[in-house]
Amino acid sequence: MAPDQIERETTIAAPVERVWTLLTEAEHIGTWFGDAGAEIDLRPGGALVLRWAEHGTVHGEVVAVEPPRRFAYRWAASTAQGDAELVAGNSTLVEFTLAAEHDGTRLRVVESGFAGLDVPEAERASKVEGNTEGWAQELGHLRDHAERVTA
Amino acid sequence: MDDAGVFAALADPTRWRVLSLLAERGDGTATTLAGELPVSRVAVIKHLAVLDRAGLVESRRRGREVLYTVRPERLDATARWMAGLASEWDARLAAIKRMAEAE
Repeated sequence: MAPDQIERETTIAAPVERVWTLLTEAEHIGTWFGDAGAEIDLRPGGALVLRWAEHGTVHGEVVAVEPPRRFAYRWAASTAQGDAELVAGNSTLVEFTLAAEHDGTRLRVVESGFAGLDVPEAERASKVEGNTEGWAQELGHLRDHAERVTA
Repeated sequence: MDDAGVFAALADPTRWRVLSLLAERGDGTATTLAGELPVSRVAVIKHLAVLDRAGLVESRRRGREVLYTVRPERLDATARWMAGLASEWDARLAAIKRMAEAE
């Protein structure tokens, strides 16, 4: 079965609190995320604005703020070009989880909800079960298989 | 939004099986596919129509039946798109790591 999410993680030799600060403060977000500044109203429902010099502005909405363990927002970035207003059906959910590990932090990000994106043929009732293999791999396998049998 | 259309098309488990069966067999008709799935021929026809609109399959007439085959280009493009998004996250996580470990 095909999942519709991306999962990545990294291990950082710094305390969870420091990673939390980098993740959630506008001054820092504007550095590692956008390259032309950021604004964030750090509370559920708060607005998030990410700016890129060349790609314009992307809007988001904060979903969860549970310092220093979980930070989540919805954004319209993955499918949008240029300025994008956040509306229902054009956004995906990005969830960061932070866990203390040895002397550092395990930082995990999951971006999900690609199947729920509003497109003419979308069937919103569809449900996708989680699968750690990831879409790219699943699709790649199927693609490879399809190419073999159609060659 | 083409990639999103692909996700929406594949999000249904039965539709995913229809596409997987087509990929395994090389081609198929609504009748042959329904014979291998716990759904009716009519249901298979509806699923094939969604896959067709998403650009995931193509069809041609063979006698009184319509023969379907997988279009790998669409899947290939979507797989590359997802791989691109994943590597963007890798780059962002690496940037956070550098910043966090800098002091």
